[in-house]
Amino acid sequence: MTKVLPDQHYDHWRVDYDSSEIMWLFLDRQGETTNSLSEAVLMELDAIITVAEGLEPKGLVIQSAKEASFIVGADIREFDQFDSAEQVSEKIRQGHAVLARLENLPCHTVAAIHGYCLGGGLELALACDYIVALNVPETRVGFPEVKLGIFPGLGGTTRITERVGGMAGLEMMLTGRMLRMGPARKIGVVDELVGENGSLRWAARRAVLKRRKKRKASVTASMTNRQPARAALAKVMHKKTAEKANPDHYPAPFEMIDLWNEHRDNRVKMFEGEATRVGELMVSPTARNLRRVFFLSERMKGLGKAEDFKVRRVHVVGAGVMGGDIAAWCVLQGMEVTLQDREAKYIEPALKRAKSLFKKRLKKKPAVTAALARLIPDVEGDGVPRADVIIEAIYENADAKRELYASIEPRMADHAVLATNTSALPLEDLARDLQQPARLIGLHFFNPVAKMPLVEVVHGEQTDSSWITKGGAFCSQINRFPLPTKSSPGFLVNRVLAPYLMEAITMRLEGIDQEIIDAAAIRFGMPMGPIELADVVGLDVCMNVAKTLAKGDVTAQRELLESMIADNKLGKKTGEGFYTWEKGKADRKPAEVDNPYGDQLAKRLMKPFLDECHAVSRDGIVEDDDLLDAGIIFGTGFAPFTGGPMNYTAQLNK
Amino acid sequence: MTTKTQRPVAIVGGVRIPFCRSNSSYAAISNMKMLSTVLRGMVDKYDLQGEQLGEVNAGAVITHSSDWNLAREAILNTTLSPATPGMTMQQACGTSLQAAMVSAAKIATGQIDSAIAAGTDTVSDVPIVFGKKFSKRLVSLGKARDVKSKLSVFKGFGPKELTPVPPSVNEPRTLLSMGQHCELMAQEWEITRHAQDELAMNSHHNAAAAYQRGFYDDLLVPCEGVVRDNNLRADTNMEVLSGLRTVYEKGEKGTLSAGNSTPLTDGSAGVLLASEEWAKERGLPILAYITESATAAVDFVAGAGLLMAPTVAVHDMLKRANLTLQDFDLYEIHEAFAAQVLCTLKAWEDDDYCRTQLGADGALGSIDRSKMNINGSSLAVGHPFAATGARITATLAKMLEERGSGRGLISVCTAGGMGVSAILER
Repeated sequence: MTKVLPDQHYDHWRVDYDSSEIMWLFLDRQGETTNSLSEAVLMELDAIITVAEGLEPKGLVIQSAKEASFIVGADIREFDQFDSAEQVSEKIRQGHAVLARLENLPCHTVAAIHGYCLGGGLELALACDYIVALNVPETRVGFPEVKLGIFPGLGGTTRITERVGGMAGLEMMLTGRMLRMGPARKIGVVDELVGENGSLRWAARRAVLKRRKKRKASVTASMTNRQPARAALAKVMHKKTAEKANPDHYPAPFEMIDLWNEHRDNRVKMFEGEATRVGELMVSPTARNLRRVFFLSERMKGLGKAEDFKVRRVHVVGAGVMGGDIAAWCVLQGMEVTLQDREAKYIEPALKRAKSLFKKRLKKKPAVTAALARLIPDVEGDGVPRADVIIEAIYENADAKRELYASIEPRMADHAVLATNTSALPLEDLARDLQQPARLIGLHFFNPVAKMPLVEVVHGEQTDSSWITKGGAFCSQINRFPLPTKSSPGFLVNRVLAPYLMEAITMRLEGIDQEIIDAAAIRFGMPMGPIELADVVGLDVCMNVAKTLAKGDVTAQRELLESMIADNKLGKKTGEGFYTWEKGKADRKPAEVDNPYGDQLAKRLMKPFLDECHAVSRDGIVEDDDLLDAGIIFGTGFAPFTGGPMNYTAQLNK
Repeated sequence: MTTKTQRPVAIVGGVRIPFCRSNSSYAAISNMKMLSTVLRGMVDKYDLQGEQLGEVNAGAVITHSSDWNLAREAILNTTLSPATPGMTMQQACGTSLQAAMVSAAKIATGQIDSAIAAGTDTVSDVPIVFGKKFSKRLVSLGKARDVKSKLSVFKGFGPKELTPVPPSVNEPRTLLSMGQHCELMAQEWEITRHAQDELAMNSHHNAAAAYQRGFYDDLLVPCEGVVRDNNLRADTNMEVLSGLRTVYEKGEKGTLSAGNSTPLTDGSAGVLLASEEWAKERGLPILAYITESATAAVDFVAGAGLLMAPTVAVHDMLKRANLTLQDFDLYEIHEAFAAQVLCTLKAWEDDDYCRTQLGADGALGSIDRSKMNINGSSLAVGHPFAATGARITATLAKMLEERGSGRGLISVCTAGGMGVSAILER
C-alpha cells in the first residue's frame, strides 16, 4: 500500500511527499518576508514530526520557501513578552523537545539552506542528520545571540560544540560572526556545498537516498571539548572576551563559556543549562536593552528602504580626511565615485588611504583592482552631471561652499541629491543662493567613516522632505544608519559630545589623571574615554567645538587647547595630544577605577552628556527619543547595554 | 498552403557587463557566470521576472565541454520562467549577432514573440585538455572490463602524452593567428600604421566621451565590482600608440600593434528582441527594428583576406534591401583590428574589388567616417568574441533611439573567413 500524506493545513509550513518517499518541509512564514522561528512555527513543526513518525518516510528535508534566506533566527519580537526567567526556560525546554524529536526521527533528515541561516535557524539545521548549503556569498551561518545579551539556547551551544569542537564552536558563538560557506564547510558547520549553478533540492534528495552522514569533528577539534584542554581553553576564552566586554555589563558570553566548561561531558545538563541560563539572561535588563538597540537599528535601516532611489554614482568635492574617506567608503559599497579637489596632488593621499582600506576589506586582488577603478580622481568636476549624489566636504566656510554650489547646481541631474558634510554651518544659510534651496541636505558622517555606522541626515527649514528620504535611501545603500536630524548647532552627536569633552578637560585641569578619567568612562560603558576621543578627533576640531558648542565659561579649557595647538599637539594625527600616539595607539597606562571613586567620576562625566541629551529631546532635534537613543549609540558608541541615554535615565529614575 | 506575412522585429534594448582584459578582473569567473549576470541584468532592466520568453539564444566561442547546454543552464540561474527554452549556438565572433538574426527570423514569422540573443567569452577560464592520444586511452579505459584489458590500454604510454593542450584561436587550416592574417590584409591593401593608430585613438576617445555623457550607463550592469570597460584608455594619444611594438610582423613592414588590435577580452552581452505587440503589452520601449541581415563567407584558404567577408555580406544585404552604402546615418564596423576596418572601407572604395569579388557594378563608395563607431567600438571597449555582436546591436539601437530616427549598418568579421551584417532602423 502506498503511503499517503494526511491532508493537513499548516499556517507556516508547506509539506510535500514524493514518489521517492521523501517528506519535503518548506518553511514559509505567513505574513512575513523572511522566516524566523516563532513559537507557532515550532508547534507546527512538532505536529509535522508526528506525521513523519507515522508515515515513516525515507527522509525528511527542511528548506525555506522564501527566496532570500533560510531562517534568520528566533523571532526576537516574542522575547519581550516574558516576565520571569522560569517562563522563558519552560518555552526553551519545549523547543528542545521539538528538536530532540526531529533529531531522533529514524528517517534521514536533511537541512538544505540558502541565504541567512542564523541563531535559531542554525539550531534547527543542526538537529538534522545532514546540512547542504548553496555556495553563494549570500549564504551565511552564525550565532548572533551574544549581541542580544543571550547565547544559543535552542540546543545550539550543545550541538555546535559537538559538531565542530569546543574551540571553533565557542569562537563562532562569542564573535557572532556570520560565516560564508567556505569557512563554514572547513570547520564543519555544513556538510556539503552546492555550486551556484546547482540545485539544493536535488542535492538534498541525493543526501537522503544515499543516507549521507554528517561530518564528525576532527580528533583535535573534539579534544577541545575534553579535559584538560577544555578548562584551559575556557580560561583563555574568558580572558579574551573580558578584553572586549565587561562581564558586569555583558554576562552572556561568560555564562556560555562556563556552561560549556562545566557540563560539556553531559548532554542532558548542557541542554538544561541552556534552558535555565538563557532564561535568566533573556529577562535581564542587558538583554532587554540590547533587543531595544536591535529594533532601533532595524527601524533606522527601514528609514532608507521606502524610497525607489538607486545610487550608482557619487561625486565628492573635497578630498580631505572626511571627503576622501566618504568617497572610499562609497566605492567599497560598490558605487562609482568621482573625487574632486583643486589639484591631483590633493587627491593622492585620499587614494592611498582608499587603497589600504580596499586591501583590508576586499582582500582579493581583482576586487581591489575593480574598486580602485571605481574611484576616479576628478579635478575638473566631470562627474557632476552623472552623479546621483553629490557630497560637498570642503573646509568650513559658508562663502566657499555657496560659491561651489553655484558652480555645481546648474550641472546636476534633476534627480540628484546635493549634500554637505558640514558639522557646524546652518543649512538654511548655505542654501541661500541655490536655485532650489529645498534640495540641500546635510549628510554628516563621523570619523573614521569606515567604522562609524551613523550618518546624520540633516534638514534645514528650507529642505523638502523628499530629499531627506533620498538621503536616507543613500545611507542604507552604503550600509549606514540614517538619522534625520534638524539643522541646529552640533546637530545631535557633536552637540551631546561637546559638554562631555569640556567636562573631561575640566576634570583634567583639576588635576585628575587623564588615564583615570578615560578609564571611568570606559567602565561606565563608553567605547573610548573622552580624553582619548579628543585626541582622535583632533584638538583643533575640539577647539572649534569649544568655540561653537560649549556652554558657560570655558576660558580655561580653551586656553589649554590653544597652547597645545600652538605646540602642534593636535592629537592622534600629529602623534601627540593629551597622549603620545604610536602606530595609531595611545600610550594609555592602566588605571584602577573599579571602585566607588570610579563610579563617582563616571557619574560626573556623564552628567553633562545625559543632560544635553534631554535638552536635545526638548528641542525636537530628532523625531523621538528612540531615535535619539539610536543616534547616540551608533554615533558615539554609548553603552549599548543601557539601551541608550534616554532609556538609561528613564530606568534610573524608575 | 497559406503564406504568412512577416512581422517587424523590435529591439527592446540590451544589457552587458563591462568588458575586461583577460586575466584581469574576471579571471576567476566563468562564461556561465557572466552570461547569467547579463540575463539577470536584462530581467531587472525590463521586469522580466517569471516571464516565459520565446527563447534565449546564446553562445560562447571558447567554452568548456561541461557548458554544452550553456544558454539553457544560464536561464535556470535567473528568475525568467524556467519554461523558457535555451539554444546554445556559435559562429565565432559573429555569434551573438547571428543569434539575434536567428531569433529575429522566428519573431518575424510568428514562431515566437520574444527572445534574448546573447554571447559570452572568456580567455581567462579556458578548457585545457589532454592530447588526443591520451584522451583515447581514457575512453578505452572506461570501456575496459578486466584488469588485463585495463593494463593493455596503457601499452606504449609515454609521459609526453600528459602535456595539456590549451585551446587555440589560430585558424585551424592556415595555422596563422587572426592578427597574422590581418597583417597580410594590411600589407595587401597598403594600410599604414598611422591610419590604424588614428582609428584606434578615435575609438578610445569616442568611447570615453560616450561614458562621460552617460551614454553607456543603462547599457551596463556591474559585474565583480567592475563598472566600466577596463581596456578603455581615455587619455591615449598618437604618441603612445605609435610607440608600441608591432606584434604579428616584427620586421619593418609590420603595422599591427597591441594598440590597434583588440586585446583578448572577457565579457558578455545580450539584446532583447520582440514583436511590437509583445513589447507594447508590457510597456517596454522599442529602440529600433532589425530590418535586414546577411551572412557571407570567403575562400580564405585559397588566398582571400580572412576578414574580408563583411564586404560581401554588406553588399549582398544592400542589394536585397535596395540601398546604397551611403544610405545610412550610423555605421558600426566591428574593430577586430583597426586594419580590418580600414581594409573593408578601402575595398568598398575599390572599383576592381567590388566588380570582381562582390559582383557589383562598381565601387560601393566611401562612407562618412564621422558617422562610424561614434561611441567607440571593440578597440576601446574590448572584444569578447561571442559577446561583440550583441554589444553592437544594443549600442546601435540606443544610438538610433537617441537620434529619434535613422538607419544604421552593422558589420562584423569572424574567424573562418565569414562576415555577418545587419541593418537597424527607426
